[in-house]
Amino acid sequence: MAEQKKLHYYILFKTYTQGMMMQELLKKDGIKSRIAPAPRAIQGELGCGMSLLIEPELIDAVRESIAKTKAEYHDIVPYETNINPGRNRFC
Amino acid sequence: MIYLDNAATTMHKPQCVVDAVVNALTSMGNAGRGTHEASLDATMVVFGARMKLAQLFNAESPEQIVFTANSTQSLNIAIKGVINKGDHVITTEMEHNSVLRPLYEMEENGSELTIVKADLLGNININDVENAIKSNTKAIVCTHGSNLTGNLNDIEKIGAIAKKHGVIFIVDASQTAGVFEIDVQKMGIDILCFTGHKGMLGPQGTGGMVVAKNVRVRPLLSGGSGVQTYLKKHPEEMPTALEAGTLNAHGIAGLSAAVDYINETGMENIRKREQALMWDFYNKIKDVDGVKVYGDFSKEERCAIVTVNIWDFDSSQVSDVLYNDYGISTRPGAHCAPLMHSALQTGEQGAVRFSFSHFNTEEDVDAAVNAVIEIANEKR
Repeated sequence: MAEQKKLHYYILFKTYTQGMMMQELLKKDGIKSRIAPAPRAIQGELGCGMSLLIEPELIDAVRESIAKTKAEYHDIVPYETNINPGRNRFC
Repeated sequence: MIYLDNAATTMHKPQCVVDAVVNALTSMGNAGRGTHEASLDATMVVFGARMKLAQLFNAESPEQIVFTANSTQSLNIAIKGVINKGDHVITTEMEHNSVLRPLYEMEENGSELTIVKADLLGNININDVENAIKSNTKAIVCTHGSNLTGNLNDIEKIGAIAKKHGVIFIVDASQTAGVFEIDVQKMGIDILCFTGHKGMLGPQGTGGMVVAKNVRVRPLLSGGSGVQTYLKKHPEEMPTALEAGTLNAHGIAGLSAAVDYINETGMENIRKREQALMWDFYNKIKDVDGVKVYGDFSKEERCAIVTVNIWDFDSSQVSDVLYNDYGISTRPGAHCAPLMHSALQTGEQGAVRFSFSHFNTEEDVDAAVNAVIEIANEKR
């Protein structure tokens, strides 16, 4: 299988609750996100184990939504992944 | 069996609560410990419960809802987490041991304690609370409703006093959460402590706190959090700061369903129904020869509790007869509220507590009335 590297954005949080709250707010704005384990390489010391994986074309809308709702998060990190984030079976 | 011990725990749970727990036990992983389906199921159920409870109590944010095992754990976290050596704390004679014992422990460790007296009806004078405030007063800790008499405290008035003097207000809502409207912001409550298995109609082993954003609570426990693994210190962010270890997500699933049930049934409908049964029982036994009822029944709004003694009969023996001869479950003896018993002068005899649920019926009440009358007649 050919490698399909693609830049995605991971929103990192200090707690799962922050992440769940952010996803609720994004849902209200009609923005898709997927809960995913935060890649270890970008977690740093503070990140919690979960992240919201955002497709690159949605990141501006996400930033606008965050600015509007003042939702709390730790960091937003662009990161290359070869995993297809289109799988959103559980949330 | 006629179950009239709902102030100890509501035995009859809504079917949706039972179903939610069973469903959780067969499907849920560990909340906040991964992002596979089973873990996410649990994470979402727990987060959903936080959102519902935040709405129920008008918390500032779902993050300010902390899950614990019961009111006792909540009160220990609150009391030991905000009071320091040299601080002064005010509480009342109406309190349960879950308030008193942590406060006595803090007193032994160098804090000061004032206990506001209750009268023969089991009421405190709110002015006494304000008059007890000193320059080093850190907190007021008091119950919303007495587990012994069912008397309510005017929490909003006490909250206003606490705000006026810049004192942290901690409320024990063990007997009232789920039945009486509690708006932590309107009532000036800094830390609300509740249990899930009484009026909330959830499973035992569930409970929680609602903590104001501007109040810093020192954690009682530290350890596993599922986040910030490489830090030596437990995370400071709420609610993780006060939730070390795996949550009782199976129980929280039941509690979440219970909040749905309360919202769908209507808290006011639940309250009016159980109060109607309580008043029916009270009115039918209050004038029976030999029956002494404790508490203040001059106010319509009170917990659905009627605590009595019959002549000088040992309360435990009365309760034993009630169960063995009539199939009626009640709570006798002391009720973990030693100062309240002293105020009511029932330290020796204890008392028999009848406590009602909206699931009880008029037939349950009449059976209990009949039993009380028959037992009282034995003295003649």
